[in-house]
Amino acid sequence: MPSNVLIVDDDQELLLVLKEGLNKYADQFSVVLAGDGHVAVQKLEEMPISLVVADLKMPKMDGFSLLAYISENYPDVPVMIMTAYGTPRMEKLARESGALAYMEKPVMADDLANQIIASLNRQSEGGTLRGISTGMFLQLIEMDQKTCTLRVTEKQSGHQGVLFFRDGALLDARTGHFKAIDAAYRILSWDDVSLSIQDSCPVSKNTINRDPQAVLMEAMRLKDEGAGSSEDQADETNDQAKQIKEEIIEESLAENGASQIDIIRGRLEANLGERTGLQDIYQESGLDDLVNAAHRLGTVFQAGPLKTAYIDRQGAEFQVLLPSNPTTVISVSSRSPREKLIGLFSS
Amino acid sequence: MDEVFRDILDMDDIDGVVLVSFEGEILFQKFPGQPDVSPEDVDIWPALMDALRDIREADFVYEDKRFYVRRTSLGYLFILLGHFAQVAKLRLNCDVLLPSLERKQGGKAKRRFFQRKK
Repeated sequence: MPSNVLIVDDDQELLLVLKEGLNKYADQFSVVLAGDGHVAVQKLEEMPISLVVADLKMPKMDGFSLLAYISENYPDVPVMIMTAYGTPRMEKLARESGALAYMEKPVMADDLANQIIASLNRQSEGGTLRGISTGMFLQLIEMDQKTCTLRVTEKQSGHQGVLFFRDGALLDARTGHFKAIDAAYRILSWDDVSLSIQDSCPVSKNTINRDPQAVLMEAMRLKDEGAGSSEDQADETNDQAKQIKEEIIEESLAENGASQIDIIRGRLEANLGERTGLQDIYQESGLDDLVNAAHRLGTVFQAGPLKTAYIDRQGAEFQVLLPSNPTTVISVSSRSPREKLIGLFSS
Repeated sequence: MDEVFRDILDMDDIDGVVLVSFEGEILFQKFPGQPDVSPEDVDIWPALMDALRDIREADFVYEDKRFYVRRTSLGYLFILLGHFAQVAKLRLNCDVLLPSLERKQGGKAKRRFFQRKK
């Protein structure tokens, strides 16, 4: 997924010219435009931005104010300053305020593109990784007492986040409008991710103050329980209401001659609402061997009859299997709360 | 291999582990509480290995216990646990220990990203 580069200038014509000139680099980065500093701040909150190019003189919020805001709130996002009224003093001030580069207008699209690409490459100077679990990676960072900025992209949703480590300690995190520990929980609960490593950390203040393994464990627990975010957190006090709702739905379905699949669907909706991540429910005799073998395993180890099985096929497809003839398969997305599903069908 | 699985076996409500090759041969097993049936005495493994095929991770939930199953480079790891075991912690421990199983086979590719610059 190409990185987003935000260009901020109140000169609309210049913005359009630059966007057109940078179009040929679309395979390396996407251009996002903002007409002033306030719109730029909005864009930074709305989407993952990897780099900002800003004019100095703008109404409402000038380039220096924007630079200060980004340094404070998005320390990993580099800012390039461009101006038509440059002076050595201004350049010195811009660099002292944290600007990565200082360019005088007119700015040529190709020159700008080269600087953007060089800066984006530095963001993955420590390498990129795919097919590695965040758990294993965190362990390695801790073991090596590594200082780095880790940019994480969840492949399925395209969500992006950033984790800041100094000497193996997790200092801060950010994804969307979530920051610090809330952001860390979200990022660490992602399944199929790609990672870019930058061998430096612009953050020095520890806003998390917890052992990375403890944060990871809590993230996994929240994910398993389907309580990854406060907005979708299940309210335990509603359990009784859910059970009543479930019984009413099941009774009504049974009265209307509904199939077992309809009843399962009703149970999922009553208990998990929109968080089911349900993709399909069907019966599949091709999975009978697996269910029978699992049942036999339980018999040998005196574990009792098999109630349910949850399977993950290479992180791409998740299924809850219910013993029946043929096996009932509930296909769900990676977002589904695993432990809730297991609890629901093993009780 | 005892050392590799120690963190798992030390967890609360974990009954034991058994590592079975893709061909159904038991590579390692440890059940500190001594199970009623030895997994070496049963012939379930080849059929189970065949049924698991491309599965990366599985949970088999029974009335009284649960099996957490994880594919490794050597075969499938089966962990027998009670219903009070911390499954999230168990999965995390597996994330951490499985690379050491791979390392025992000489797989060190991912470590290169962490080598300090000289």
